[in-house]
Amino acid sequence: MIDTLKSICDQCAHLRDPQLEFIPQESQRQKEIILRDLRELIAAASNEQERSVVLLAGSLIEAALYSFIDGQSEYISQRRGEFTFHREHDLSSFVGIFNRWFSDLGRIPDIIVAYRNTTHINRELEFDEDICPRAARDLLRQLDALLGSLESYARI
Amino acid sequence: MANLATFDRNARSREARIRALLDDLVQAHIEARPLTKMALAVWYQKSPSSETQFLLELIVADGFDFKGFHDDRLSLLWKSGSEGQPYANVKVTSVDYFLDLLAGHPAEAAQYHEGTLEVLYFNKDLLSKDPSYSTLLDLFHIVTDPGGLMKGWYVTEDEFEKSSTVQALLSRRGSARPELGIVKVWESPDLEHCRGILHVEIQGKWLPLSPQGVRAYTYYADAQSGRRAYFIFEGGALYEVLRFEVKTAPEYASRFGLLEQAPDDRYPEVYLRSVRPPARPAA
Repeated sequence: MIDTLKSICDQCAHLRDPQLEFIPQESQRQKEIILRDLRELIAAASNEQERSVVLLAGSLIEAALYSFIDGQSEYISQRRGEFTFHREHDLSSFVGIFNRWFSDLGRIPDIIVAYRNTTHINRELEFDEDICPRAARDLLRQLDALLGSLESYARI
Repeated sequence: MANLATFDRNARSREARIRALLDDLVQAHIEARPLTKMALAVWYQKSPSSETQFLLELIVADGFDFKGFHDDRLSLLWKSGSEGQPYANVKVTSVDYFLDLLAGHPAEAAQYHEGTLEVLYFNKDLLSKDPSYSTLLDLFHIVTDPGGLMKGWYVTEDEFEKSSTVQALLSRRGSARPELGIVKVWESPDLEHCRGILHVEIQGKWLPLSPQGVRAYTYYADAQSGRRAYFIFEGGALYEVLRFEVKTAPEYASRFGLLEQAPDDRYPEVYLRSVRPPARPAA
């Protein structure tokens, strides 16, 4: 027996009690969107809805990175001399920026982007038939770890 | 000595600034050309102190046949509207044209891949799709895997119990992207047991996992909670996970040719035992 999604959620403090202090004050809309999606994620996980968890957790990783990088654009600019945050880019680009400039907070592996891309049926078919339960569990844990590291960064 | 240190800092600072400006240019090109895909961007004839920098961009453009290079020269401060130095001389062509040049006019192509260079961007998926494209990985010394890396997937207890052959487990993975990797640091003489440094693919490169990073994986959580966990690797090696242990080993990075040294020299190691799928009774 593998862990249920509900039991994983129960172990994930940052999913159950998100602080989201890394989101700038002026970005309340982003915070509301993330909180809404987190509530739906917990509900989906409680009902063991693996596909919904994959979709929501992948989307939340993207939303968390988007909001964090958006708030850190000035910091990256100071470090590299110049930086423009392209808001229209996708998860792959946000992961690249995060891994490059915030690797001290932990890095997001390529497989997470691949899991998120199973949103598209052609991408899901590239994996074996157990990809959905596996991706759901890894995405939940990775999202919790990401939120934890972003929150601890915001408190420094 | 103080002057030397200052000089070194200034030189490094200039190099970092030029790299950042070139990075931004490459990103802008990726974004501005939605019908093409950037496969490789190389800062060639690299000389950060020079007024002009040289950038080669190789793209994949379906339905468009490049017969040469598209040349551009611009200020690297283009975003601010400046036309002053530093400048970039940008050469853009297709991967196919570049490979033709390499085969037909190697001396002309040499200027791009010989001498001091830095790969600023590569798309591993694109460069791996066609066997001829992958020669560029070697040509530009792009190392994506440490020597001896074994790539594979997690097999749950349930799946292992249901499986009858290694081939069945492998074929279920099909062409799926490997989820994990190990570089063996020890193997018993009878090959039954081994220990390996856990790796994960980040931005196209296989890098060692951190002790914190490994906790976010289902195989780790399952093994820690007492469930049996298995790894199957490309080629068919199948192992049971016995335990994980974090090891402080400053020598690992150089000894095993890892692509990155852990900041604190701590690596999560996995202890493995070779297994076979449970035998199925004949029907």
